[in-house]
Amino acid sequence: MAPPLFVGDVTLPLQFLDRKQSRTQSHAMLFFSYFKDLVGREVTVELKNDLAIRGTLISVDQYLNIKLENTRAVDQDNFPHMLSVRNCFIRGSVVRYVQLPPEGVDVDLLHDATRREARGG
Amino acid sequence: MSCIYDFSILSTTSLSCIRVSEMSAGTLESLVGQTISVITNDGRIIVGVLRGFDQATNIILDESHERVYSTKIGVQQLVLGLYIIRGDNISVVGEVDEELDASLDLEKLKAHPLKPVVH
Amino acid sequence: MGSTEEESAVKEPLDLIRLSLDERIYVKLRHDRELRGKLHAYDQHLNMILGDVEEIVTTVEIDDETYEEIVRTTRRTVPFLFVRGDGVILVSPPLRTA
Repeated sequence: MAPPLFVGDVTLPLQFLDRKQSRTQSHAMLFFSYFKDLVGREVTVELKNDLAIRGTLISVDQYLNIKLENTRAVDQDNFPHMLSVRNCFIRGSVVRYVQLPPEGVDVDLLHDATRREARGG
Repeated sequence: MSCIYDFSILSTTSLSCIRVSEMSAGTLESLVGQTISVITNDGRIIVGVLRGFDQATNIILDESHERVYSTKIGVQQLVLGLYIIRGDNISVVGEVDEELDASLDLEKLKAHPLKPVVH
Repeated sequence: MGSTEEESAVKEPLDLIRLSLDERIYVKLRHDRELRGKLHAYDQHLNMILGDVEEIVTTVEIDDETYEEIVRTTRRTVPFLFVRGDGVILVSPPLRTA
């Protein structure tokens, strides 16, 4: 019996691409990977409408869309618009900054990853 | 009102599409059927029940209303009904805690409207 | 080509940014925002992680009566900041003189 064409974890078209292209793809993954490792930590996401939301990072995707739990506006007096919201999804494209917890930043690891990806691109 | 039924079909279809590629951690799957608060890029806040969504964060919002904030009077609520909001125009989707929301006195809540997103 | 040569070769703009890793850089952002901080990571979109960041925001208000422009700058510091690349206008390596 012939083996199936698609086996195991291969579910995405990109996984079939050649090495150079998959390197290009991994190049775009630096911050995606970084934020995935940061899941569970408290971050402050500052948006391009000046709203700043603090919460626990729950998940992130390839577009750097972000899900937070236990959210609150940093300045609740001026931004009471989300008072009844405890969990939220933030579109990556409206993020200006993310304030990172110092214990969640390994600078040596970041330097290595950045150099590795700069070479690959 | 027949369009409502059309859209409910649309929403289940888009849902099953999402399940196929559950890679994206940013899906709104867990919020379907829940009351959500959407902040749009032009600074509006629209509250309604999430019926469906897709990879582009386009969403179907049922029984929706807009909450208009001002510093002079409390929050005004405008009835909108069934809305489809294009993902490109969405900044934030928040899950509304119904208990918390009921405890808010919207008529006394005063604030500047949110600024539009500037890219 | 030796690896040292390869490291220091500057052929495209991002090579120059690579050489600024672990150095303090200046970043000009859209809407009159400026950052100074140590560069810890970046990608091809110019998404970045900066450390010991100082942000300066410049705002211009018009006086209600005299119609004069009042320029205000607000400063703050942040330990570590992820900066989304779509807001970046320019990146400048550390000043030798400063």
